[in-house]
Amino acid sequence: MIVIKCFFLASLFLSIGLLSPGTALGKDPELNPPKAIDIQSGKQFLLHMTQAMQTLNYQGTVAFLRNGKLEPMKYFHAAHNGVEQERLLSLNSPLREVIRDAGKVSCLYKVTQQLVVDHRPFERSFLVDLPKNLDELDAIYSIDVVGEENIAMLPAYVIAITPKDTLRYARKIWLGKQQFLPLKVVVYGLADGVISDEALEQMVFTDLEVTDTLPFVDVRKPDPGNPVQNIYKLQAQSSNQAGFIASRLPQGFREIFFTRRPMHNSEQPVDHLLLSDGLASVSIYMEHKNSEIQPESYISKNVQSVGAVNFFSRTLGDFELTVMGEVPAETVKLIAEGIKLRDTGD
Amino acid sequence: MNKVLNKKISQFLDDDLDCDEALDLLQKMQWDADAANTLNRYEAISHALKTHELVMIKSDFSAKIAEQIQQEPFYLLPGFSLSPHGPTVISRHKLLALAASVAVIAVLAVRGINNPAEHRSPPSALQVAKLRSEQAPKPVLYAHQAVQPEEQYPLNKRINDYLQAHNNSVYTNGEADLAPLASVTAYRQK
Repeated sequence: MIVIKCFFLASLFLSIGLLSPGTALGKDPELNPPKAIDIQSGKQFLLHMTQAMQTLNYQGTVAFLRNGKLEPMKYFHAAHNGVEQERLLSLNSPLREVIRDAGKVSCLYKVTQQLVVDHRPFERSFLVDLPKNLDELDAIYSIDVVGEENIAMLPAYVIAITPKDTLRYARKIWLGKQQFLPLKVVVYGLADGVISDEALEQMVFTDLEVTDTLPFVDVRKPDPGNPVQNIYKLQAQSSNQAGFIASRLPQGFREIFFTRRPMHNSEQPVDHLLLSDGLASVSIYMEHKNSEIQPESYISKNVQSVGAVNFFSRTLGDFELTVMGEVPAETVKLIAEGIKLRDTGD
Repeated sequence: MNKVLNKKISQFLDDDLDCDEALDLLQKMQWDADAANTLNRYEAISHALKTHELVMIKSDFSAKIAEQIQQEPFYLLPGFSLSPHGPTVISRHKLLALAASVAVIAVLAVRGINNPAEHRSPPSALQVAKLRSEQAPKPVLYAHQAVQPEEQYPLNKRINDYLQAHNNSVYTNGEADLAPLASVTAYRQK
């Protein structure tokens, strides 16, 4: 605990320049105004945050607010020798325990004893996912320290991540001053192209404690008498195998993951391409038209939304296409309209 | 006399009477309950013979129509105005209205007879059960229990599948039916 604190204090001092040669030489304060939070760029704070999130052991109570619904959960993060485990325990029904181990999420429903194992190699955290290389964000977001507030009675820096265009949402991260852990994350929508004060979704800790160690929990094997066990196998494939080409992507969006897999409780394969600009992710789904699921009712001329997630569907030849992501409606429509069928040369 | 009257009733049901005779017959039936009952019986017999089904018409059916017309003549007589000859005119028009009504009923009855598919038959046990279930009080459903309209379910199912694959918010959202949501997206069960 003490070692960790020392590490972060030293890190903070180094980054804000208190131990820099200029300071040590006692330069004129007029030339070096002591605006620590300005000197330490927002990006550097986020760098500390990603490091702290991966290396510290911490637990607390976190509330997720999405689509108008509040979900309080107990949160645990264990880390040891570069191995991490995230664990969530729901406080309200349906009672469940969710564990993330190295790209795999297991969810055990307490009442039914149903175990769902979901392979998600492209995500690292339930709290906030940032790219490994924050430089990716430079061209499309401004990252600034915009203030200091208290969250869960802990002092925090407020980091604003502001898009440089109207094709993505703005975010704010409240970063604990002591441990550089994210205490609160809010996604803001756009109103007439201007960042709105209204939160589309948020995550906030109501208490958070850093400890020296936390145990790794084994995913409990399901009751042999209960055969319910769903395993979502995901295997990354080359996006060249996709039946479509996304020809119009907003700046900064790149391919993260592609897979072709069955969905909707059928063997009919669905192409799924995941894109990300480092913060916001967009999924493109394409599948054959299926009369059983009434495509006409599914296709809408308008962009629809579920909380911060917008989605837009259209037909493309014999296929149905859906673009979905936590980006503005304009963005999903733009991407969807730029998708073409891949010429396979047949 | 009865034979003549019965023949006219039969002709009336077969639509073989001319307008004046039909009016005379209907006028008689206003005062002659036996004649009205005979009309009902003949109509029922004719119906039963042609369709092998029996439709019971209340014996006072015609009388009730006549009574209704008597009570509400204005609806059937647009342009009616009081005049020194009013009572006579009313009586004449009432008679015409009654005749027209019975004629319409007769035509409809004949059409129903000729088209058994449209004809009402005694309700089957299934129909009775269905009727009872429709009339029974509906149980209260909460939002998460309510069955989605059939045309909306596929949309929700598909979007749920897509959301599940898109990000991990399905595990941290406050939906009460998270487990069904996840199970809906299950595939390749092992």
